[in-house]
Amino acid sequence: MSYYFTILSPTDTPIFNIAFGTSKGGGDGIARFRFPDTAQYMNQFIIHSSLDIVEEAQWTNGGMYLKHVDTYPPAAAYISAFLTPSGARFLLLHQPPQLPSGNASLGSSSLLGASGSTTRTSSSSVAANPTSPQTEEAVRQFMNEIYESYVKSAMSPFYKQGMEIRSPVFRSKVTAAGKKWL
Amino acid sequence: MAAPRHSAMLSISNASTPQSTSSDKTQVQQPQSPAGTSGLRVPSNRKTIYDRHLNRSRNAELSRASFAYLFGEMVSYAQRRVTGIQDLEKRLNEQGYPLGLRLLDLLFYRATSTSSSALSSSSTSSSPPNRPLRILTLLHLIHGPLWRLLFQRSADALEHSVSPDTPNEYMITDNEPLVNTYISVPREMSMLNCAAFVAGIIEGVCDGCGFEAKVSAHNQPTEMWPSRTVFLVRFGDSVMEREKVLERAGVK
Amino acid sequence: MTSPGDAAPVKPPPSFSPGVARVPSKSRYPDESESVHSIDPELADARSGSSPTPPLSATTAELPIRTSSPHARSVRSSTPQLARSSLGSPFDGRFDGSEDIRSLVIRAFSPTIAIHASDDTDQLTVSGKVVIRDSVGSSRAWEDYGVRFVDLKGFGRAPAGRESGRESTLTQMEEILDQELDTRERLLGASIPSKDALGVPVASPLWKLLLRQILSANPAAPHETFCHPVASVIAISSRNTAPLEALRQLYAESSTGAKRLPDWVHQEYLRYYVLVHDEERDDITESTKLYDQMKRHFGLHCHLLRLRSSQCVVTDDDSVQVPTCEWLSPQEQLSGAGEAETLVDLGTDGIPYLFESDATAIRAFIRELVVQSVIPFMENRVAVWNDQIASRRRGISGRFMSVGRRFMTFGAGARGSGTGAAGGSGNYDPTNNNYSPDTPEAILRKMADFSFMLRDWKLSASTYEMIQSDFKNDKAWGYHAGANEMCAVSMLLNPLAMSTKIKLENIDQMFENACYSYLTRCSDVPHALRSLTLAVELLKSRGGSATESAARWAMRVMDYGLVGPIGQILFTERVSACYASKIPVTGAKWGGRRRKAGMWSILAADQWLKAGKATLASACLEEAERLYGDVLEADGVFPMPEMQGFAENLRRAVKVEYLGARGFDTFDEPASEDPDTEETSERLEKIDKRNHRRSLIGLPAQLDAGTLNMTSGTRDPENPPNDDFERA
Repeated sequence: MSYYFTILSPTDTPIFNIAFGTSKGGGDGIARFRFPDTAQYMNQFIIHSSLDIVEEAQWTNGGMYLKHVDTYPPAAAYISAFLTPSGARFLLLHQPPQLPSGNASLGSSSLLGASGSTTRTSSSSVAANPTSPQTEEAVRQFMNEIYESYVKSAMSPFYKQGMEIRSPVFRSKVTAAGKKWL
Repeated sequence: MAAPRHSAMLSISNASTPQSTSSDKTQVQQPQSPAGTSGLRVPSNRKTIYDRHLNRSRNAELSRASFAYLFGEMVSYAQRRVTGIQDLEKRLNEQGYPLGLRLLDLLFYRATSTSSSALSSSSTSSSPPNRPLRILTLLHLIHGPLWRLLFQRSADALEHSVSPDTPNEYMITDNEPLVNTYISVPREMSMLNCAAFVAGIIEGVCDGCGFEAKVSAHNQPTEMWPSRTVFLVRFGDSVMEREKVLERAGVK
Repeated sequence: MTSPGDAAPVKPPPSFSPGVARVPSKSRYPDESESVHSIDPELADARSGSSPTPPLSATTAELPIRTSSPHARSVRSSTPQLARSSLGSPFDGRFDGSEDIRSLVIRAFSPTIAIHASDDTDQLTVSGKVVIRDSVGSSRAWEDYGVRFVDLKGFGRAPAGRESGRESTLTQMEEILDQELDTRERLLGASIPSKDALGVPVASPLWKLLLRQILSANPAAPHETFCHPVASVIAISSRNTAPLEALRQLYAESSTGAKRLPDWVHQEYLRYYVLVHDEERDDITESTKLYDQMKRHFGLHCHLLRLRSSQCVVTDDDSVQVPTCEWLSPQEQLSGAGEAETLVDLGTDGIPYLFESDATAIRAFIRELVVQSVIPFMENRVAVWNDQIASRRRGISGRFMSVGRRFMTFGAGARGSGTGAAGGSGNYDPTNNNYSPDTPEAILRKMADFSFMLRDWKLSASTYEMIQSDFKNDKAWGYHAGANEMCAVSMLLNPLAMSTKIKLENIDQMFENACYSYLTRCSDVPHALRSLTLAVELLKSRGGSATESAARWAMRVMDYGLVGPIGQILFTERVSACYASKIPVTGAKWGGRRRKAGMWSILAADQWLKAGKATLASACLEEAERLYGDVLEADGVFPMPEMQGFAENLRRAVKVEYLGARGFDTFDEPASEDPDTEETSERLEKIDKRNHRRSLIGLPAQLDAGTLNMTSGTRDPENPPNDDFERA
């Protein structure tokens, strides 16, 4: 499972982002997306496009954790969202590893850009099914932990809403949370 | 100019509400500055803001005198180079606004954190609160939890404008605003209400939740409550439109 | 032009040509020139004679149905143009009303009428070799429609139908057996024609083309009866010396002889007899006499069609262009396209012409055929079957479910019950993978198809739903898939059935079943593609949350790799269109899918570029910019850096390619959009290169741009545009 995590301000400005892989089940924590390295922008496109759904869910679901909100089928990318009350969006794109068997069935979509990104086979329990309750719960825990760090950042008098979060401590916190839950 | 002012405000917010001893406060602030900037200065005890618990100070009390002093300084700071009462109130409002945004996150964090954070043995409800989607929920949030966070009591009244022309106006009443307790307004400035600062906080909360609004503070003294203040909340058109949509959709 | 009134009078020597209709249609593509010729030698028959060559699939002359559509307006005057415009009209943008697509879909499933024209002496020989079974996909008369469902659809359309005479989809001939084998190749071919059409700047016509191909690519199959003839037109010409015998013989051939339909086609269909009269060589009184005789023998289903046998040329006063068939299968399209190309090169338009009088006659004939014979026949069958079979199934055994069914015999066809697979009725023949047409299952399916063609979607949906479980029990997967597909389609077409959430889920499930059965159990790619495409289009036209399902299905098509590379891109564009058609909730900012639509547009642009189609890519980019306009800040910059970088690079690359293409290729020239101004220097460079190259190739003498322009203008057609461009 590979992850791309982004925090967007209420005006869609990216505040923070990071890509990482699962650490469960022997994962090495390195992200291996299905896109070729030259196409990493796809993660951002997919996340950006999921805002359509997030904006809709935002006003129908009052929770902060919106669970899995969107899927981008061609790349099997799943988006989970968490909204802070002040309007920042935490978006997590998770993508199960491509099975070596190449179950791209009848033909691989050209959108996938047949990247040679076959990685280890299903490694962790979380990775197994991106929409399972276990995954939802793990992502929720992850989001909550980040939320705590985020609030701490936001409380700083030198931080203004919409500013990029550059603190290495924050980044390491996110990484640690990823390791712990995902 | 803005930055220092904000920092001052923040400390006040901490002070006025959850904050604790001054020593604790300064410690908290030290690490904060490195966090916001790239050059990282890790405090001697190696504890950054990220290592401190946000709930630690939630039940702590703060000296009212120091608060009064700080707030007085803020008002006089705001008063410099202003052109009139309105301008002054606007500045106070602007000082409160970012505070509202932050308090919002803190408020929800404290409500949710009970499960994940072992430190605070709080008794708040276990299920995380919902973000307010409708105007009324938002106003109740302000009237209740926010006011308690700030002043340790709820506001005194919440009313909706009865005029059909202004369905977007709501009023929150505080009979004795803490911020005005130690402020004595000169006669020639009798229109001034320093609770404009609190109005700014409310505005920040509304805005943060996605409810575009203008909030102003007005003196409405009564015999029993000479410093009674009414916060007038006027929501924007987009909010009212959305309200109708949500009403139809049955969203609570 | 043919009001019902005119058409009705059968007695007087009306004019019409059964075959004619087809003639034009057929001719229009497969053999443009041929058709014309064919007409003269032996009239309609001839036509069919000529047509035998192409496997005859569907040729249709299509008149636009919708009043509101631009085509409709022009309809009256010239049918041919209409047809053509609908084929690739630049003005239907991709946002054209979903109505358009809807009617396209509806028309795709119109009754099939076989034409068994064997007649003229000449023709007999010809037809002897090939089964000529043209089916004219019917045209359903709208006014008729209007009458029957006045409250639902009668509005505006009925009158329209009346006015324009027949908006008929004429068409479709189907060589049933041969084609079954061809499916694969045709599928492959599918993407090729679209490539041919790539010169068109706007993408949407391409999509329509693809859609039309997908819808017409399917050969007749046992599990659905849309392609099975509803009626057969048996035609002879006035030159035939033994007309009645000829007719009998033809009839015999069609029902028992060499031209008998495959076993799995229900043999009971309407026979319609036509006498084609050659206005120029034969005596009308003779023909009339003969016609009266025919009526005595064969009853009411007769028609006398008067045509001129000489070849019509453009210069003739009353010439009418033969309309292009809308429903050519990819295969025919390919052969047609090849011909068209050669013709174009010659500078002549290869489009065949008809005499206006003949066209009118043909239209009148078809109208009469449909209104007076075919539709009543179908209605009758539906009523009878519904009464005899469906109601029993519903009433008794329906309640006992499959258990009841097993022990209950219905209909005459329940042969060998009990021998089938567990739970099956035993009517299914697993070796041939079909039901015999007289089994209740097959008849029910046919009934559902008929009611579908008659546009009684409620009945068809309920019937499909009822039989699909039977098919499932029998493990008749092809049938199962077909019933699921059509059930979902019927539900989506039914304007009354509102798309509640639950229904949407059901519909998705049905498409899922259909697709799974087609693909996994039957390896039937064309049908799977068709059903998914129908899902995309119909769900899209539903609007609301259905559009998201539509987009999902379109992605599924791509994922399965059901279409070729160009098809992939077209589907990518379609996904964008699906998302774009989801409009925000009124009063709220959310509910739209602008970002998604924009993203897919960008992806499509990227793919077009990779495919070397800069013009299309730039169209997609513009579309993407429009879509993103609402969600991005005013400057149109993406908030995320990598996205922005990608978009910028793409824009630049497209611009470069586009300019390059303009430089070298006059065909692309017309595009109205100027490339942006900004990178003037880059542009100049490009141009310079081009000039150099040009000069190297053909005009070594010119060094100076000014002289180049002037001289080359005269010599080389490609240059003048360049000049304009440069000056601009």
